[in-house]
Amino acid sequence: MIKVYAASPENLVEIRDVHYQRGDRSVFRGLSLDIPRGSVTAIMGPSGTGKTTLLNLVTGQLNPDDGVVLFDGRVVCPCSRRRLYEVRRKMGVLFQSGALLSNLSVFENVAFPLREHTRLPEELVRQIVLMKLHSVGLRGAWQHMPAQLSGGMARRVALARALVMDPELIIYDEPFTGLDPISMGVIVRLIRHTNDALGITSIVVTHDVAETHELADLSYLLSDGKVVARGSPQELQRDQNDTVRQFMQGLADGPVPFHFPGPEYTEQLQAMAQA
Amino acid sequence: MSRALRECWLSFGQFAATFGGFQLFSLRLLPYVPKSLLRPGLISEQIYSLGALSLVLIMFGGLFVGLVLALQSYNTLVEFGSTDSLGAFASEALVRELGPVVAALLFAGRAGSAVASEVGLMRATDQIAALELMAVDPIQRIVVPRFIGGAVSVPLLAAIFSAMGVLGAYLVGVHLLGVDAGAFWSQIQDRVDAYEDVGVGLMKSFVFGVSASLMGVFEGFYAAPTAEGVSRAATRTVVITSVWILLLDFIITGMTLPEV
Repeated sequence: MIKVYAASPENLVEIRDVHYQRGDRSVFRGLSLDIPRGSVTAIMGPSGTGKTTLLNLVTGQLNPDDGVVLFDGRVVCPCSRRRLYEVRRKMGVLFQSGALLSNLSVFENVAFPLREHTRLPEELVRQIVLMKLHSVGLRGAWQHMPAQLSGGMARRVALARALVMDPELIIYDEPFTGLDPISMGVIVRLIRHTNDALGITSIVVTHDVAETHELADLSYLLSDGKVVARGSPQELQRDQNDTVRQFMQGLADGPVPFHFPGPEYTEQLQAMAQA
Repeated sequence: MSRALRECWLSFGQFAATFGGFQLFSLRLLPYVPKSLLRPGLISEQIYSLGALSLVLIMFGGLFVGLVLALQSYNTLVEFGSTDSLGAFASEALVRELGPVVAALLFAGRAGSAVASEVGLMRATDQIAALELMAVDPIQRIVVPRFIGGAVSVPLLAAIFSAMGVLGAYLVGVHLLGVDAGAFWSQIQDRVDAYEDVGVGLMKSFVFGVSASLMGVFEGFYAAPTAEGVSRAATRTVVITSVWILLLDFIITGMTLPEV
């Protein structure tokens, strides 16, 4: 049976009825969600719910078993490498670690996509790179090597690199993890400011509820392979669903259990004693 | 017993899968080579880091092998009264055999493992994924320049190794053991053939260079993204490349010796 999916011009990314299985484990079972153009959309959920898998599907690193991922109205995968690279040139991805090329300086890291994809004169490359570095506040660190940067600085350089090709979509994978409050504030401000100033679309994958409140226009909460809640961060805060309440209030036990599934305590002790 | 058989079968299956993966990886790499030659800057960078930075090790290695070779062979040649052949004997052994093999083994230990670790660490720190997401093909940008750099470096290193070995043999033979200098050099001139010895030696070292570089980039590219995975990739590169070089050397020697 051929399924037809109609893309809406209001959405930059649309995920329609996606099923994805890894080994015996079903990660997504009919996941559908939209990323509106010009918005900052947060994808939240407990660890292991497939947030990063979702990013990999959007960027075409993984193919869904069923369903489609549409970017700008066109199917992301499966397609040729050339077509995939065309799509990826319209995207920027910020990794949790920054993923800067360790043998290149800050300047060369930001210039890297320009040198690979364009034939711009060196003078123009210099201007664009310094402008992007200035926008993340690190123009002065242009000569530093990645090993000399703190975690927050590395993420800001990676943001400058993600912005250098003027993408339509920026994806942030856990951008707040392991940052001190000042760096976290800087990153929150940069994500919001960059999105509004450049008129791009942002997807932020995170489990930091407080930062998401400040940042996102729209939030999705994923659990058990599906969207369990959708709305503004304030709406999610008021949601009475048990899973949503557990996540938003940071409760240790609930639909996501504290204990990893296993046999009864005494049974296990006896079994281990007999072994 | 059945458990042991199952383990053996699983190990064989794993070996076959890795070997098949290596073949596919090699085939996948080849079409990129002509395009990569258009970016000589990336290749020269790798020739520097893989080849030039291995020079000291190769030069010392060659010198000491030459010194020992002269001492050992003099001891045998003196029994037959043909010590004048010392230069020819050492040069043939170095140019045809020891130069290509030992230089490639040293290269695998220094540069092959370095490539596997570097590429493996790039995988572990998401740098390869970042390249993919910047629409830059990591095979083109990371793997092929290292492969070409290694394949070009090994024949040059082997030549330098052999030259240093001959120098070592000269120092021991002529200055320590009293072999006539004229006889030493003229025997080399007479016996070492440009095609049969130097050509075969270069061909061998090129094959060894291709093998060592391919194994380094393959192991690094498919390394598990953990500290243990990177370390295993480096170790496997050295072990597999060393065995592979010795096996290839036997095959090529058998095919190229006219008397065999």
